[in-house]
Order: sequence, then C-alpha cells, then structure tokens
Amino acid sequence: MAGNFWQSAHYQQWLLDKQDLIKERQADLQVLSEEEYQKIMIFFTNFIQQLGETLKLRQQVVATATVFLKRFYARYSLKCIDPLLLAPTAVFLASKVEECGVISNNRLISTCQQVVKNKFGYAYSTEFPYRINQVLECEFYLLENMDCCLIVFQPYRPLIQYGQDLNCDSDTLQLSWTIVNDSLRTDVCLLYPPYQIALACLQLACVVHNKDCKQWFAELNTDMDNIMGVTSHLLSLYELWKNYDEKKEILALLQKMPKPNLQPSR
Amino acid sequence: MYNICLFLDLPKTKMSLGCSGRIRVEEKLKRYEKIEFLGEGQFATVYKALDTETQQIVAVKKIKLGSREEARDGINRTALREVKLLQEVKHPNLIGLLDVFGYKSDVSLVFDFMDTDLEVIIKDTENISVLTPPNIKAYLIQTLQGLEFLHKHWILHRDIKPNNLLVNTEGVLKVGDFGLARFFGSPNRPYSHQVVTRWYRCPELLFGARQYGPGVDTWAVGCILAELLVRVPYFPGDSDLAQLTTIFTALGTPTDTSWPGMETLPDYVAFKPMEGSAMKDLFPAAPDDLIELLEALLAINPLHRSDCTAALKLPYFSNMPPPTPGPLLPLPACVKRQAGGAEKEGAAKSLKRKIIDTTGLGGSLAKRLQF
Repeated sequence: MAGNFWQSAHYQQWLLDKQDLIKERQADLQVLSEEEYQKIMIFFTNFIQQLGETLKLRQQVVATATVFLKRFYARYSLKCIDPLLLAPTAVFLASKVEECGVISNNRLISTCQQVVKNKFGYAYSTEFPYRINQVLECEFYLLENMDCCLIVFQPYRPLIQYGQDLNCDSDTLQLSWTIVNDSLRTDVCLLYPPYQIALACLQLACVVHNKDCKQWFAELNTDMDNIMGVTSHLLSLYELWKNYDEKKEILALLQKMPKPNLQPSR
Repeated sequence: MYNICLFLDLPKTKMSLGCSGRIRVEEKLKRYEKIEFLGEGQFATVYKALDTETQQIVAVKKIKLGSREEARDGINRTALREVKLLQEVKHPNLIGLLDVFGYKSDVSLVFDFMDTDLEVIIKDTENISVLTPPNIKAYLIQTLQGLEFLHKHWILHRDIKPNNLLVNTEGVLKVGDFGLARFFGSPNRPYSHQVVTRWYRCPELLFGARQYGPGVDTWAVGCILAELLVRVPYFPGDSDLAQLTTIFTALGTPTDTSWPGMETLPDYVAFKPMEGSAMKDLFPAAPDDLIELLEALLAINPLHRSDCTAALKLPYFSNMPPPTPGPLLPLPACVKRQAGGAEKEGAAKSLKRKIIDTTGLGGSLAKRLQF
C-alpha cells in the first residue's frame, strides 16, 4: 500500500461519523438490537476470514474485503443484498484490487460451498445457494455503492513501523497484529484513520504484555481521544465475546436478520 | 433459481435510479448521448458523447467484453486499475475520471474529452511544420507535472508514450490510459518487466528488472522529448535486443563503473562496447539547457536518471523562452478551429473549436484515441 492517506478517497469520503452510521442503520436496528447487529457482522467477517484462509489470500486482501462489506452495509440495509452473497463478492473484488492473483470462478464458488459446509454448518443447514453469475452482478453494485473508492488503507503497515520505533518484542507485535485482525469485527475501520487503529492496538498489546510504553505514547503527536475511542470499541468487543457462543446463537440471529424480498423467477 | 434483480432491494432515495442494473445502464446511456465513434483499441471502444446533465462533452470508454472467459472474470482488471487509481489522483495534467457505470462485466468509464494527442501532433508534419522550442517546453512541463504528482502518490504509469499524452484544444495536456499503472515501493513484490511500449522502454526493463521505480516513466519522457525534436521515434527498435542496440549505439554502452550491478539483472546480455555520442552531437541544434534535460532524463543508469521534481527544477524550465500558452499551441489538421475567424481575436477567446472528421485521416483517428 502506498499513496498519501490524507489526500485519499478513504480519508475524504470513507471516514464516517458515529451518529451517521447509527442513522444509516436505523432500518436494521428496528429489527435487531445493536448487539445483534454486531454479532451478524462478526459472523460474516469470520466467513470472509475463512474464505481468505482457504483461498490462501494475504491478510491485506481479507482486510480490504471486510472493509468493502462494512462500507456497503454502512449505507444499505442488510435486506438489500444477502451478506452471504456480498461476502464472497467482496473477496473477489478485493483480490483484484490488491493485485493478488486471479481467483477463478469455479474456485470461488466451490470454496464458498466447502467453507459453508465444513466451517459454518452450525449456521446453514443447506448448501451455499449462490452461483457465479450472482457474484458478478453483485460485484458491480458493490463497486458503485462504494462510489468506486477501492483503495483501502490498513493498519498493518503503520503497525510494523510503530512497533519498530517502539522497539517492540515480537510477541507484543504479534499480539497487536492479532488485535488489528480483531478490530475488523468492530466499526473502527469505518470511523478512524488506520494509523490510530494501529496505535490503539499496539497500546493494548503493550498493556497486556506489561510493556512500559507510556513515554513513547506521551510523545506522540496524535489525537489521544481517538486512540481511546478505538480502544473502547475493542474492549467492548472483548466484553461481548466473553459470554457469546456464536454456534448457539447465530442460527436464530440469521433468521431474525432482515432479508431480501425473494420471489421465484418465472 | 431467482432472478438476481430480486435480491436487490435498494431504496430509491439512495440510488437515483431503479433497482435493476440493466435499467440503470439504460438510464446512463440516455444521460450520455452518443455523438460519434472515436476509435477502437485492444480492450475498449471510445465514443464522444454529450453529458446531458452537465452539457459537457465527454469520452465514454466502453470496455470490450472480449472472450467468454474474460467476461467471466467480472469487472475487467484493466478498467478496475483505472478506476482505482484515478479515483485517488486528481490533477490538471492527469485525465479525469468522471463516472463509471455498467452491468456485470459490461463496464463503461466516462473521461474528460480530449481532442487529440502528442502522437498525432508529432506526425502531422504537413500541417504543423515546426514544433517550436516554446511549444516543446509547454508539452514537457505539463507531462512532467502530471507525472510528478503521480509519482508523489507512489504510482507508476508504466505506459508513457506520445499516444497516451492527450491534448485538448485549449492546449492542456493530460496523461491518459492508466491500464498498466500500479503502486510502487513495496520491496517484496516483484513487478512485470513487460511494460511500456518498446520504443519508450528503459534499459533496466529491457534487461528484465523486476524491481524498478519512477525512472521507467522519466526515461519514456526523455524519448518523447527527443521525438518532439526530430519528429520521428528516437529509439525505434524492432525487438528487445535491437532496442538496446539502438539505445547503446546512440548513447554508448554502459560499463561496470557507469552502471554497477547491471550484469545481475535477469535478462542481462553483454554488448559490444560502443562509444556512443555526446548528447550535444546527437542534437546539434539544441541549446545547452535542453541538452542538460535530455541527459538527465536519458541517463542509462536508473540511479542517475532525474526524477520529475529534479527535472522540473533544471534551468531549461526557468530560462527563456517561456512555454507557449496553451491556447496558442498548434493543432493537427484533424482538429480544426471553429469557423468565424476567432483565431485573430486572440486565442484565449477562441477556445471553442471543433473536431472535423477528415475521412482521409481515419487510420490515425482510430489510433489516437486508444486511451
């Protein structure tokens, strides 16, 4: 990744306001509670992660695909497009955008079928229902509804730079990397610049590993309120995970989720 | 099976147009009223169109569906690259992407309309008998400023050639065709060396370098500068080896001292040592400051080659004569000014000019709009 973040479409068009985000989700939040909404987004982020791992994609592609999915639902209700269709579409588009080789159509669909069957059998009793044609059609809606803003800045690269500057040991750096991955299960990628996400994850990892980094953070020229904002999103995610068993709850949530109004075609 | 249209239940307030992709494409086709067919390239067909919402003339580039297999890849990668990068960079000397519409793999991109390009201008020796030093300076400044902006955003164009330097009747030059462009600066990711049209390809690419930088674009600018001076391609090789021979015959074979490490490049071949000529002798009519620029852009060792910023700071660009103001730049025969004697009133006012389709130039017309 390269370019200047502060002049990018990501910064100018895709850092959203918390209030706006809540407002855009009103339709869905009338059916689902905020927590239920987040659980559904977590589920589909996990689905993307599994697709990425099975397709052996770089984490950069997985992260970009996740942000694509989140950007779409930041503007549209879950009932506009089934996330089970949008998730592989986001992976398909992200792999092209990140120039990471070609995923053939057959491989994409068969991987979806395989992942749904083997990893998410607790959520779906039936086969992955979509065909490549639907992914291709969906791809364009995704592109269009993101206003063609395809370049996503991720926290990974700044994280490594900050880690080096802070003289981080590899365990702490590894933990902060994992926390960045976890952060994809929250809204922070829609709300904060990737640099601040990286800093918050690094700080959290330092605290967990009892690494003293107060001085280093004190000298940073950044908005500490934002760092705290990211941290509180992360902490509430970990709080949510404490008492959440996806395997038990997700089926009911998916049933409750607003869905497209399906009618068989002639 | 369900009809895909029914999976989408997008509120109309958000999407200005209905729910079906097909319907929206039809609406867009209505918005962009086709005026004429402009040309056809390998990947796309280009139309001149009127944007009925803004009354602006635009160029609509419709990506060809190609073979059935290609269509199955979804949105064309080349088009996606253009969309992705042009969405990030906005500069007066880079082509502007105005809109994108489509349905499945059927993609159309809407760009600024440009009347002509440097290839047409260079070739039109009949109508433009002389490209004056101020003309050349005007083209060079604009090219380098566009590229400088691109490089500052860590993007390599990788296909700089006269045909991709588009010019409008106001004399504004914009770099077009970002189908090969990509980010650079990730050291662990190798890049293809099969980029840039051969005549404008730099020595390190010809030696198969998989890691390279902005020098691939600035070398091409050097070749174009030479071409503007002599009005024919300056290094016209008909194979990769012949290309290197042509370059080394003119400029001399690089040595271990002038380019340390070149023999480690994947496709390196040793060449018979050739003296080459001094730039002064190759361009006897060029003034010293121009020679200095040529030497900076056409340095064989990529590490010695100037970047755009350094090149723009050379005395050539601050010395007399000043560059020709855009509206006074020459136009090729196929782009004629509008009748009415506007020329004499001062070019600043006579910006409205019109394309006159000269059937005699059909071949070059088709070629010039492959952006």
